[in-house]
Amino acid sequence: MSAGAIEIKDLRVDYGDFVAVNDISLSVPYGEVFGLVGPNGAGKTSTFRVLATLMEPTYGEVSLAGIDILENTERAREVIGYMPDLAPVPSDLKLWEFLDFHADTHRLGNRKERRARVDECLDIVNLTEKENAWCKALSRGQTQRLVLAKTLMHRPSVMILDEPASGLDPLSRREMRHALQKLAKGGATVLVSSHILTELAEMCSSLCVMNEGNLLASGTAEEVRAKLGKKERSLRATFLAENEAVLRWLRTDSRISEIRADGPDVTFHFVGNDEEQVGFLRTLASGGFGLKAFEEEGSSFEDILVQVAEENRKS
Amino acid sequence: MSEEWQREKMVPFWKIWANPIVRRYARSRLRPVSLGGVLLVFVLIAAFIFFSIRQGAMGQGQLELMDAARLPIVPLLVLQGLILFMLGTGQVAGAMTAEADEGVLEYQRLAPMTPLTKVVGYLFGLPIREWVIFAATMPFSIFSMWQGKVPLGVFLEIYSVFIVAGVLYHLTGLLAGTVMKNRRWAFLGSMGLVFMLYTVLPQVAKFGLVYFKYFTILPVVEESFAYFVPRSGQMVIQTMQELVPTARFFGLNFPQVVFTLISQGILILAMSTMLWRRWRRNESHLLGKVGAVGLFAWVQLVILGNALPLIETGQLFPSREFGRRFGRFAGVDPANWQPEAWEIFMMIGIFGVVTLAMIWMMSFLIIPNEEGQVRGWRRVRKKGGSRLSILSDPATATPWVFLMVAIGSVGWFTFAKAIVGSRWFPEFQLSSMALLAIVMVLFTGGILVQTILETKGRKFTILAIILGGVLPLMLGMIAALTKDELLPAGVWLIGISPMSWAMYASQVVVPIDDMPADVIRGIPLAFWFWQGVAVLLSLWMLNLLRRTRKEIAEKTK
Ligand SMILES: Nc1ncnc2c1ncn2[C@@H]1O[C@H](COP(=O)(O)OP(=O)(O)OP(=O)(O)O)[C@@H](O)[C@H]1O
Ligand SMILES: [Mg+2]
Repeated sequence: MSAGAIEIKDLRVDYGDFVAVNDISLSVPYGEVFGLVGPNGAGKTSTFRVLATLMEPTYGEVSLAGIDILENTERAREVIGYMPDLAPVPSDLKLWEFLDFHADTHRLGNRKERRARVDECLDIVNLTEKENAWCKALSRGQTQRLVLAKTLMHRPSVMILDEPASGLDPLSRREMRHALQKLAKGGATVLVSSHILTELAEMCSSLCVMNEGNLLASGTAEEVRAKLGKKERSLRATFLAENEAVLRWLRTDSRISEIRADGPDVTFHFVGNDEEQVGFLRTLASGGFGLKAFEEEGSSFEDILVQVAEENRKS
Repeated sequence: MSEEWQREKMVPFWKIWANPIVRRYARSRLRPVSLGGVLLVFVLIAAFIFFSIRQGAMGQGQLELMDAARLPIVPLLVLQGLILFMLGTGQVAGAMTAEADEGVLEYQRLAPMTPLTKVVGYLFGLPIREWVIFAATMPFSIFSMWQGKVPLGVFLEIYSVFIVAGVLYHLTGLLAGTVMKNRRWAFLGSMGLVFMLYTVLPQVAKFGLVYFKYFTILPVVEESFAYFVPRSGQMVIQTMQELVPTARFFGLNFPQVVFTLISQGILILAMSTMLWRRWRRNESHLLGKVGAVGLFAWVQLVILGNALPLIETGQLFPSREFGRRFGRFAGVDPANWQPEAWEIFMMIGIFGVVTLAMIWMMSFLIIPNEEGQVRGWRRVRKKGGSRLSILSDPATATPWVFLMVAIGSVGWFTFAKAIVGSRWFPEFQLSSMALLAIVMVLFTGGILVQTILETKGRKFTILAIILGGVLPLMLGMIAALTKDELLPAGVWLIGISPMSWAMYASQVVVPIDDMPADVIRGIPLAFWFWQGVAVLLSLWMLNLLRRTRKEIAEKTK
């Protein structure tokens, strides 16, 4: 079954009677930065822990870079780089020692070769000047970066990062984004999770929304928005002056609802596809209403997640 | 795909020095500054023991060099035991829970090393500082043995057993640290265990339960004790040695070292298996079904193999040791010693208690919980199957408990038969109900605990044990001790508790008569009555278990 870098088939995770991951299937091609987004308790961490070989699923097949992780666990661990959500660090090691230990477990050569790789990784996450500090003496964001360095250490071909950006400042986020995109260009496949869709939208080539153990939609950011966002679009037109005539005209159109006027600004909902919207706009502009500006407020990524989470609460 | 990395071969488990986990702890636990201080302290203590005893013996004690040099050997051994056995074990257990607590253990789970290599890494990595301190005190021991003209063979025997015992205790600590959540308890608990092994168990060993001594270095030290004292003291020692009961496994004549190493080796194997299973799959039971029953059978075999030869010599019976020690004061002549009838009751009863307790322990290891069953069923159904493999963790433990009941019954019956058949008790014999009583006790006791565990879970079982096991025992004892009229009531109350069943069975198996008349009359009645109740209860519980398991299986359809 191995076509993509990550192949998940019918994956199920139960905690007693509770179904945390409900028979999901997913395929991620090589060289992609793939995002998994969902509200708290969606099952992201559970899925990731299975992929990282830390937990046995109830059932399901998972292959990473062509290796069946349940059959061939130790082999799979060589290609996996996993970063847990609350990245822990040991209290009795210094930064470089922590990284060196992991280089050692992955058999990355002798002392000198390992050291070179450690320095390289420290440099990627900008912690070089801290190399002799104790791991526990780092700030939250620095700790997060250290664990990211540890994850990169053995050049994994599949990286599984559970909320890697939490606790990072905007600059570090941008740097991380670039680092991950660079890795993906080099052929690695990156799987990241987050609650923040915009963040993923910037970083990922495609993404997937998860909720209550199910995958709701996947594809590029635009495709996901198209699928999960509200069908009706919120449009906003600004006129030269307050305009009663345009309001009257709008009310006659059955595709339009929830008209609100605020001085020269008018917002309303429009149901229809892009073609119809173009036609509508042409009429509006040529109708002599004094149209000055026009914009479309599609459902934002935040709205989509809020909407998903709200539906959970209701049910 | 990213470029294929040229990786070196995986480190095999026996290459301890190349094990990344060992190297990691060598780095963090052998930092020169902190190690230096501790090392200095312990070397100074060792030096003080060595010089003060040796110089004192030569100076004030006027002993020759060879004799004086032997005197520090045992005190140094005690110091080394404290370092490696006590500190080392506590360290291993505490550090293991700490790793899990901090969350960094998961990184090691992810490391591409075999489970065995990981176990070995922790086993030798966590206590590495204690090994180094131990090594630093060795020159004093070596020098003492050399000047004391102790044969090289004796030295090698002592220290090979010492090292194997160290590994055994560290493994115990590792297991405790893996199973327990609380760092402090793991630390204190595992140190307490080692402490008990050297203080309480040797005392117990004097009264027949010799076997546990082989988990210590004592038998080997005792065997060579003549070399660790001045020559003038050897007469005393040699007579003392003859008094120490030794365990000859089914009368076979192994040297103590060999037997010690075999005993400890089996335990090391069992515990390594448990850890290996956990490292391979975090959700695994510590032992598989076959492993648990196998271990149970082995322990039965070993206890029997040790106990049987001691019956004819009389060393099994507590009163013999007691008579030898205090006989003079009681006006008993040790030479004409005879075991007493109550010792039949005691020894057969204790054998049953131990057997039943072992069945309980093994059940505890192999019963599946509901979560495991749900997962197991879903997995089976997904593959289109309709039953759980009886060897798998989610399968019921019932057939395996039956198997242990059968094995335990054979062992217990053999033991009872050997005691009454021995030269000491020509006037006693097994009752015709003996086998029935033995099988019944193990069956009801084993099945009840296992079925309750499996249907209701561990917390409920503990509650049930307190209410149904401990409480009647306590009430009954209070009643029996209060006054004679309440004695029969006490006997009936105590009889409720499964913990008393094996003792009661003992009186049924070989009726003896030197107990109060009320007790002699009461025990068999209470025994059969409560066994009747227990059999009904067991059957009812077996049915409940069957239904519960079926419900779970249905639920997953
Ligand atoms: N060990 C556990 N035992 C029982 N239930 C669990 C366990 N771990 C997770 N769950 C449950 O499984 C569901 C999914 O949890 P998971 O951690 O996978 O969610 P998540 O998507 O990572 O959420 P978050 O965004 O908060 O990190 C949750 O409802 C949680 O309560
Ligand atoms: Mg999570």
